[in-house]
Amino acid sequence: MSLRDHIDALAADNEVGGVLNIDREKAVALAVFLIPGLSLFAIFSVGPIVYSAVGSFYAWDTFTMEEFVGLDNWIRSLRDPLIVHWSNIQEFRYPMGALTHNLLWVVIHVPASTFLGLGLALLFADLKGRRILRSMVFAGFTVPPIVIGLVLMFIYDPQAGIFNEVLRVLGQEQWVRNWTQSPQVAIYALIAGGIWVHTGFSMLLYSSALSAIDPSLIESAKVDGAGAWRRFWDIIWPLVKPVTAVVVIMGIIWVMRMFDIVYAAGGAAGGPNHAYSVLGIEVYRAAFRPEIDYGMAMVVALIQLFIVAPLALYIARMN
Amino acid sequence: MTEDSFNSTDSSTDRNANTDARADGGRYLSVDEIPETAPVADRTWSERIADAVPSKRRGLKYVIAITIALLWIVPFIGLVMASIRPLSEIIGGWWHLEGMTITFENYYQAWNHSTAPMGQALRNTFIVTIPAVLVVMLLGVMAAYPFARFEFPLKRTLFFLILLVMAAPPELVAMGNYNALREFGLFDTYMGLILVHIGWGLGWVVLFLRNYLLGIPKELEEAARIDGASRYQIFRTIILPLSTPALVSVAVIQFTWVWNAFFFPLVFMRSPELYLAPQALPLMRGRVQVEWGLIAAGSIMTMAVPVILFLLLERYYKRGMVAAVAD
Repeated sequence: MSLRDHIDALAADNEVGGVLNIDREKAVALAVFLIPGLSLFAIFSVGPIVYSAVGSFYAWDTFTMEEFVGLDNWIRSLRDPLIVHWSNIQEFRYPMGALTHNLLWVVIHVPASTFLGLGLALLFADLKGRRILRSMVFAGFTVPPIVIGLVLMFIYDPQAGIFNEVLRVLGQEQWVRNWTQSPQVAIYALIAGGIWVHTGFSMLLYSSALSAIDPSLIESAKVDGAGAWRRFWDIIWPLVKPVTAVVVIMGIIWVMRMFDIVYAAGGAAGGPNHAYSVLGIEVYRAAFRPEIDYGMAMVVALIQLFIVAPLALYIARMN
Repeated sequence: MTEDSFNSTDSSTDRNANTDARADGGRYLSVDEIPETAPVADRTWSERIADAVPSKRRGLKYVIAITIALLWIVPFIGLVMASIRPLSEIIGGWWHLEGMTITFENYYQAWNHSTAPMGQALRNTFIVTIPAVLVVMLLGVMAAYPFARFEFPLKRTLFFLILLVMAAPPELVAMGNYNALREFGLFDTYMGLILVHIGWGLGWVVLFLRNYLLGIPKELEEAARIDGASRYQIFRTIILPLSTPALVSVAVIQFTWVWNAFFFPLVFMRSPELYLAPQALPLMRGRVQVEWGLIAAGSIMTMAVPVILFLLLERYYKRGMVAAVAD
């Protein structure tokens, strides 16, 4: 309550209904400030999410909601080999289902980009021209992800791709192939590309945490004869540890939303025979490519949300 | 205000800098006057000289750092090379420099491509991006103000909803918005896509600006209130000017997000003449031989806008990114 509110409240005691007037003035102001933004937010963000949550329990005739079917869509979607392909998982053969692929992204991409990000942040931290070095690594994160996907196709092309040329130069001819179109290895090629793009973001977060560390702390540790390893574990790590949670969670969110890169490399099918399809791709195909299956699209999108939402709330709680 | 005098103060807050600059005549700090890192304590000359001449170890560190940074952008160098060379030379390998022919034919062809004309696609992207950014900035700061200053019913619920939407994947709102836009007659129009982008972006913008506004001291507003200023006057004359740095961050990040977005245009723009640039790019692949030259030229044109914006407003972009997730 601001001072003005106090004064107003004191003055209001003298007249009947004064309190109501003040409340009305504040209510009008609140409405003026909040309603334009929040109504758009409600119509185009909250509404559709509620719509999906409700719709996932209904049968759909293309785009029209039909009768209530309970958990049918959920059971059907979770049993769909496009989402989780149990028999292929047991043989460790792709496609293993979009959910599995997404989790594989989480398991490989997130630790790799976190470590690389921390490593590069530490490496660049006290160099001259660190701004330029950082921007070079970070630039990929500002490029449209669809371009990243196309660039990856270009790098991994058997003739024009520089990755295969490097293999040839190293004498590993047997490995030369069209990486993004080879079902059993393509996902790793794409994950490597994801790490390439996303490391810049992790590095940025770590860099800003590092720059907040008082340099005299490190200087005095140096004077006390602490080696680089000791300095890292005893001084730097405890101070950047909280950022690691944010880096990891943002990495998981980024990976669970993966769409553009996979689409660029593998189209709406998510690669040859869905070899590296992800949940986002499955939502798109279920909702907007024939056979249209809105129920399944909503279920899969909600699964994406369920995996990520607790993490986002954890970040919010942390601050 | 010089860089030196700024360095001597605590750099943790650009708010201070702004109030100072206002005293200087209502001008804000330009981008390059805001230091990126906390100021380092002054060192003696001998230490400076010792630092300036890299030791062997440090020299090695520079070599490694520069090599890594260069390797990091090799794919983009390849993209640039491919965009200015004929297809035969790209297939032979863009890294072969002898006998290199430089041509802008790829750019010309991509610009006037028959199925995916980049000229038109880029124009469409501007038409969608600019209003989507400006409206989000205005409505975002308006909604953020009550969140930062007033108590009102449902505040916590709204807050929770905003967090939930920030976590949600864009795919989750596609189905509802698809049906809604068809209902309103806005499907496959610029307006429809703009509205979807505004609704989607407002969540993080409100949260981000609220956090920023919480850092503005309340005393300024209270002084103005005692002078009889209304809430709207306070908003216009105090809150808006003081939140300029945060608004610039919002503008850069939201611009990049809307410009780069692929999924929303893919779902909501169906007429070829309305295609946005990211959406048109994959259509250039060609049937038999992948048209690398065209793809590269189109990619360069599409990424040029966000990358240039990033380079121009780098500090705002980076600070916004860090603040958006870490605060």
